[in-house]
Amino acid sequence: MSPARLLRTTCGTFLCAVFLAGLFAGGVTHYSYATQFREAPNAAPSPTHLFGTDSLGRDLFTRVLYGTRVSLLLAPAAAFLSTIIAGVFGAFAGFVGGWFEAAVLAVADLSMALPLLFVLLALRAMLPLDIDPVVSVAATFILLGLLGWQASLRVVWAASKNLRDSDFLLLARATGCPRSRIILRHVLPNLRPVLLAQFWISIPLYVLTEATLSMLGLGVMEPLPSWGNLLRGLEDFSVVHANPWRALPLVLLVVVVICFQLILPAQEEIA
Amino acid sequence: MIARSFWGFLLFAFAAFSPAAQAQSGGELHFCLHGEPKTFNPILVDDEAAEQIRYLTGGVLIRLNRQTQALEPALATSWDTSRDRRTITLHLRKGLRFSDGTPFTSEDVAYTVKLMMDPQTHSPTGDAFRSGDGAVDVKTPSPDVVTITFPAPIAGLDRLFDQVAIMSAHSPKKEMAVLGPFFVAEYKAGSSVLLKKNPNYWKRDAQGNPLPYLDSIHIDIQRNRDIELVRFRKGELQLINRLDAEQFERLRHDDPAVARNAGTGLDAEELWFNEVPSAPLPEYKKTWFHTTEFRRAISAAINRDDLCRIVYSGYAKPAYGPVSPANRFWFNSALEKPTYDPKLALALLTHAGFRHENETMKDAAGNRVEFNLVTNSGNATREKMAVMIQQDLSQLGIKVNVVTLDFPSLIERMTRTFDYDACLLGLVNTDLDPDSQMTVWLSSGENHQWNPNQKTPATTWEGEIDKLMREQASAPTDKERKAKFDRVQQIVAEQAPFIYLINKDVLVAVSSSVVGTAPVVLSPQAFWNAETLRLNAGAALGAQK
Amino acid sequence: MRHRIYQVGRRLALLLLLTLLGGLLGATLVRLAPGYGVDERELDPRLSQQTIESIRASNRAHSSLLVYYARFLQGAAHGDFGDSQWLQRPIASLIRERLPVTLRSVLLGTLLAWLAALAAALAVSIFPNWALDLSSTVMSGILIALPVAVVAMLAVYIGAPVPVAIAAVLVPKLFRYVRNLLAHANAQPHVLAAQARGVGRPRILSHHIAPCVSPALLALVGVSLSMAFGAAIPIEALCDSPGIGQLAWQAALNRDLPLIMNLTLLTTLITVAANWLANFSNRRVM
Repeated sequence: MSPARLLRTTCGTFLCAVFLAGLFAGGVTHYSYATQFREAPNAAPSPTHLFGTDSLGRDLFTRVLYGTRVSLLLAPAAAFLSTIIAGVFGAFAGFVGGWFEAAVLAVADLSMALPLLFVLLALRAMLPLDIDPVVSVAATFILLGLLGWQASLRVVWAASKNLRDSDFLLLARATGCPRSRIILRHVLPNLRPVLLAQFWISIPLYVLTEATLSMLGLGVMEPLPSWGNLLRGLEDFSVVHANPWRALPLVLLVVVVICFQLILPAQEEIA
Repeated sequence: MIARSFWGFLLFAFAAFSPAAQAQSGGELHFCLHGEPKTFNPILVDDEAAEQIRYLTGGVLIRLNRQTQALEPALATSWDTSRDRRTITLHLRKGLRFSDGTPFTSEDVAYTVKLMMDPQTHSPTGDAFRSGDGAVDVKTPSPDVVTITFPAPIAGLDRLFDQVAIMSAHSPKKEMAVLGPFFVAEYKAGSSVLLKKNPNYWKRDAQGNPLPYLDSIHIDIQRNRDIELVRFRKGELQLINRLDAEQFERLRHDDPAVARNAGTGLDAEELWFNEVPSAPLPEYKKTWFHTTEFRRAISAAINRDDLCRIVYSGYAKPAYGPVSPANRFWFNSALEKPTYDPKLALALLTHAGFRHENETMKDAAGNRVEFNLVTNSGNATREKMAVMIQQDLSQLGIKVNVVTLDFPSLIERMTRTFDYDACLLGLVNTDLDPDSQMTVWLSSGENHQWNPNQKTPATTWEGEIDKLMREQASAPTDKERKAKFDRVQQIVAEQAPFIYLINKDVLVAVSSSVVGTAPVVLSPQAFWNAETLRLNAGAALGAQK
Repeated sequence: MRHRIYQVGRRLALLLLLTLLGGLLGATLVRLAPGYGVDERELDPRLSQQTIESIRASNRAHSSLLVYYARFLQGAAHGDFGDSQWLQRPIASLIRERLPVTLRSVLLGTLLAWLAALAAALAVSIFPNWALDLSSTVMSGILIALPVAVVAMLAVYIGAPVPVAIAAVLVPKLFRYVRNLLAHANAQPHVLAAQARGVGRPRILSHHIAPCVSPALLALVGVSLSMAFGAAIPIEALCDSPGIGQLAWQAALNRDLPLIMNLTLLTTLITVAANWLANFSNRRVM
């Protein structure tokens, strides 16, 4: 096995392990993510608390595991949604051209410029205050996916335009292949590397967007943890300096993102 | 003799090289405001940043000494208040000038008061003086005497002049001509305000030296408190006016000398339940929230000591009621200290018809006791408090959903739609006198948060509070006023419309290069005596960026 | 010639229409968002009922959106863009003071990001080496994974200016895409054929790979400017840099309808113009 392949296998295994640990968090740790050990706030890592505790005495390892479940399940869902929207509209716009292309790009430009924070605020206001935290965070991620497609769309559109005058597409058109079939069977598969790249890049972006939203009260409701709200206290470096273990969620996030990126070349090979 | 000389020399050396001795006049003080001042017009000030600028630049007739909490002569050398507390006569200092050289006379006081009380001006400063319908009468029998008569009695009339910065009636610079220790020399919107020493400032120190000692104060507009702390540690700033507990603890750990605790402050954190009859809540919830025993049970179930210890790192005390012990005169020392007593909480709930079964609290009709607790997002300490309260009440089987909303959305729910169950917010007390909180305590008041704008008091105890507050406003002596307000505090403790949680300590950071600071609990906590602050010789040029 | 003038005129008209539409949509969003029309001064117990009523009345002034928008357009035609409700200052002067700060940060940040991303991607392409590839992936992974708030705080901590923080946010996104683009172009048959014929690496890059990737790169220029503008908002707000970003952030928190609408108009204009410019350059290259 080549070193590159070994590395990708290791990353893939690590990601699976993290994902499974999050999915079966209840079996991995016997603590609840909400239990506060008030006699030990900001405790250092120990056999009792593997990652230490946060400022309210909650076991950080448990919160990271349950936070993984929220972030690693929902961020990819949001990324998938935005990539699908960008893929479909971008591919059609790039291939079809004309007024459709202009209209799609105009809508993309407009929505990039709008203060979409207010859309999120309006959604939050529409949701009942007593809503289950899981439903609330799922709704937030879905909305992020529905609103976050513009940058990906432009990239897909450019790639699609590039493909428009390719020989194989000219051949397909010459043989009388309908436009929709050309897009679905020839254009989109050739855009797969671009779409995959956008998908993988979007996942950590949505995790980080959720962190920013957490600060505005639009993120995950307490006490449900997510990587976003676990990162919140890190803006002040003296926190990290005094309690270095508080940076563990950030370290995990970085490692997971890097693993996502290292896996991507394998997908390109398969495509 | 040699020994005596030696010790004498040591004493001299110590005195000569001590920070106080090394401090000298001049230099630029550097600190931050946490918001943009919306105006420099002193009678239109209604935000904290503008108030702090006004404090440093405005000359007032009567000054409330932030340290002693007693009134002192300022531009007025003396004053008399009539027995009916409608009229005040002030005797002004002679020969004073505004920062641009314009002479100061009673005409300027008259101009300021008339402008302030003009309904078209909508002056927030003037609101404190609006006691009744009718115009304010201002007489200026001589250039150094002014008599002001209000249409109705005003409690604590003289104290209110601490907020009234006198404006010039004649200066071409209008509100920018000031009588305070500094004047606004430069303002870069969104960035900074530069104050320079007022060359015509009237005050002198005990040795007759002109004040202020500082040449200038450079104030940056810095909303991000973490960045402010980073800049303070780097030496770019010389003081931080308010620190949160976590930052203070870290700073104290690294450099104890700069972290200063002025003691228990005036501000409180409180929780209340929505008792508005027209609120879009289920009837059973309204019944819970209207029940005194329910509210008192919730209060007893909250561990305030843990809130102080964990959220505030010990830099807070459990709150007794609406008035902090730091408010020496108005605090009711007879109030019972709030205690954490889950057994009492359970007993109160049982007495009110609730029952605890299978680790769930239910009311008499079988509804699970569950409510949402809203608070403003972006305030980490308040969010932590909400989570801890959520945990405390879960011990009783009560489910609390913590919902954080951005401030405008929260205000809309509190004041317009009333679509919330319970709210956790802070009470900022800038004024010692409870008369400034009439709209909170009167049942018809806009800020009677649990059930505002009532046409008639919804409960007998609210009716009693209304009566007591009106009586204290017109009581002839402070002693009588206090007795009435003590009774208000007692009723609030018994009925718990507000569940007071903690009083935060006032935490500031002061660089060792600044001499003469004496942080206090009243705003502006760290620089209330800016006119007598000095910088050490090494920092004579102020902070270097 | 006439046709060209017509085309340009049509484009400009469309740009204006989109900008106005963006402004109206932005205003609609603010107007419909919860918390519009409330003022935290209403919670100040020191204020009288009359003062609170006057505050509420001034916030109700914009209750009819279309009327407000029509009045705004009328004023804007005469150079009056209204006053900020929150800061109580003319919006035109606020933007005049702050726009140069943001433009400088965004342009410099974008330029730095492109230089860094291109240099790293070209290095990986010219010197294919798994260790170099791995280390660049790790670096970009770390930068992508850092929240904007942490990047901004790091910049303050090390004394780096705002453009550097903006560049740090953009670089990983640009690098990844450029690197993939170059790798994909490297694998094209005509490039392989050129390599097989012994064409030198620089010539392959300039004559075979560059024409292949430049349309996509140019498309990304417009996107990257928009991304930089978007990143500037939280970075300026967190670093307290007195630019448009900080103004927009505070305006959003304070529900300042006139200010947000003006800023949305500006953002729409910049975003659409930047993307159209990128498209135009793309067509010129092809």
